Amino acid sequence: MVKGSFSVRLPEFARTTTFRWTLAISGAFTLCVILMFVFVLGEEYSYLSSDVDRLNSENARLVTAETKENRVRRLNEYLQNDPRRVKLGGLFDSDGNRIAGNIENLPATLQTDSSPTDVSLIRVDAFGRDRQLARTIAHRLDDRSILVVGRNVQQFTWIVGVVRRALTLGLIPALCLGLMAGALLSVRGQKRIDAVNRKVQRIVDGELRERLPTRGTNDPFDKLAVLVNGMLDEIESLVRRLAGVGDDIAHDLRTPLTRVRVSLERARQKAGSLDELRASVDKAIVGLDQSLAIITALLRIAEIEHSRQVYGFRDVALADLVREVGDLYEPIAEDKKVDFAVKAKEDATVHGDRDLLFEAVANLVDNAVKFTPQGGHVELSLLRKGNEAVVRVCDSGPGIPIGESDLVMRRFYRSDKSRCDPGLGLGLSLVNAIVKLHGFDFRISSGPGCVAEIAGRSADA
Amino acid sequence: MVLDEATGLTRAAAPLCQLENDLGQHENPAVGSPGELAMSRVLLIEDDRQTADEIVAELVDRGFQVEWAATGIEGLDKARIGDADVMIVDRLLPGIDGLTIIEVVRQEHIRTPVLVLSALGAVDDRVRGLRAGGDDYLTKPFAILELIARIEALLRRPSENRDTMLRVGPLELDLISRTAKRGDRPIDLLPREFRLLEYMMRRKDQLLTRAMLFEEVWSYKFVPQSNLVDVHMGRLRRKVDGSDEQPMIHSVRGEGFVLRAPA
Repeated sequence: MVKGSFSVRLPEFARTTTFRWTLAISGAFTLCVILMFVFVLGEEYSYLSSDVDRLNSENARLVTAETKENRVRRLNEYLQNDPRRVKLGGLFDSDGNRIAGNIENLPATLQTDSSPTDVSLIRVDAFGRDRQLARTIAHRLDDRSILVVGRNVQQFTWIVGVVRRALTLGLIPALCLGLMAGALLSVRGQKRIDAVNRKVQRIVDGELRERLPTRGTNDPFDKLAVLVNGMLDEIESLVRRLAGVGDDIAHDLRTPLTRVRVSLERARQKAGSLDELRASVDKAIVGLDQSLAIITALLRIAEIEHSRQVYGFRDVALADLVREVGDLYEPIAEDKKVDFAVKAKEDATVHGDRDLLFEAVANLVDNAVKFTPQGGHVELSLLRKGNEAVVRVCDSGPGIPIGESDLVMRRFYRSDKSRCDPGLGLGLSLVNAIVKLHGFDFRISSGPGCVAEIAGRSADA
Repeated sequence: MVLDEATGLTRAAAPLCQLENDLGQHENPAVGSPGELAMSRVLLIEDDRQTADEIVAELVDRGFQVEWAATGIEGLDKARIGDADVMIVDRLLPGIDGLTIIEVVRQEHIRTPVLVLSALGAVDDRVRGLRAGGDDYLTKPFAILELIARIEALLRRPSENRDTMLRVGPLELDLISRTAKRGDRPIDLLPREFRLLEYMMRRKDQLLTRAMLFEEVWSYKFVPQSNLVDVHMGRLRRKVDGSDEQPMIHSVRGEGFVLRAPA
């Protein structure tokens, strides 16, 4: 709560929000308790006063009602029998001289025939002479003498004292306890945050294996830590995968580039004629083009993965798209002597980018045709499953080994079975990126051969 | 063969490329016919000096007159004169952005065809380039022959004639009845083959690269990994060029195809 230069000197825990809140709540609590006591005291005081006033006026009436001669006796009777020394009474003549009673003299502040007042009186009796605070009334009688009746209300002060002691004994420890709890909580919180801070610093420094400390309790802090740790797991695996991709890229680029180098080197030494030189240069260009194609494909995947733009999406009729892809690949399948069937009897419409979807389907067919041996078959079909539109590409190729279906979607993954086949190993990760951008499902399963499906919510369902 | 600003490939590639062209004229008669396009004026707006040098050298070798502007402002000034036959504009330039230059020039009703060059490969970027008034778009790094082929295509853009009959030598294509014949021999074409042949006949004697064919005939924006275009072209060629006839569809190794009338 202290601002400015002072706050610098406060201990660490006192500067935490937790501690400040504890302080504020303790203050409010104390104020409430004090207000409550004040209220109770006030009520108690007015109750007791009215009680005393009633007693006083009753006794005054009894004395007044007596004949002039009997009043002194009556008063003395009343004043007797007072072990607690609370009863006060006095009869004074019109000049204020004491006639009877235990009040030494008529207090100057006391007014006759007015409402009861608290007055300080001097009590004189067999036990001695002492000053007492009394609730008092005074009446002027018919013979001009003055009757004073009062009752010691020292007990009120005593009650106030008790309350004060109660407050001191109750509130101060409570307050201290509150402050201590606040300090403790903030220190504990501070400690956890410090621990987290140290871990985070290590993670920032590259120690991706580090995790935030958890205690196995179910408090919000722990839940948060668990959440962040989950995120870190994902990041770690992504980074590892990326690092793996980096290695793969290096490898896949190095292969064609090495061929280029060798080809050029040989040509420089061995080429005897211009034709030989040109043949070598042609080979080199092919190798460079391959490397460039890899880079282009990678950039393209990154572009799709990073694009959040879906504003170009519109309704795409899949039957047309499937037939077009079929049309595009039919000659290639035929050249390779692979039986190629396109089945799109029902139409289905999805919301998406036609060019990208075309590219995805074309890639699947490209893959299927590439990996299906001569004499095999590839089928491209459009199906409807409930309100899902499914484009399915089946082939009779070697299929994907169980457990590799996730891997094939990663960049550069190429099943060992197909290492020798040409291809960039980027096709399926491109398809995956496109499908993800659309929020569709991409499933690969191994029947006999390979079954790849792109499933999207049908826009006309 | 490939221009790449980032690497030193340019230096190594250029002399080899030159070699092929100097000697290639007889063997690959398809690649450009300089006579026809010679003295065409090209305005090149490109800020990277190395890339610009390579492009200029290649174009000059092919008989073009080339003017080079290294900044957007200089480029815009030269473009507004409007005496170039074709412009090559880099997308990212110091001073004024390439697309802005094209927009300004188009607003001034200068219709010079523009080829946009860009290191950004985004499909979106391509669309934006074309929308700004560019006529074609090429992503860096590119093969120099691809650039030449596209510039020639822009220079020889088919006139908007309303002919319903296309003829190249003995080859005839009837756009109304959707039939084709070579001499008296009718040719039975599938729709996609018809489209391909129509595109080629409208651009006879021009080198058409695979990427150009794929973009224009199939209107796809991605370049497939398989030899798709080659296979389709193979089909068409078997139908157009009979075994006892002189070939009309020639392939330029590694680059593309040319349709020309038999000599």
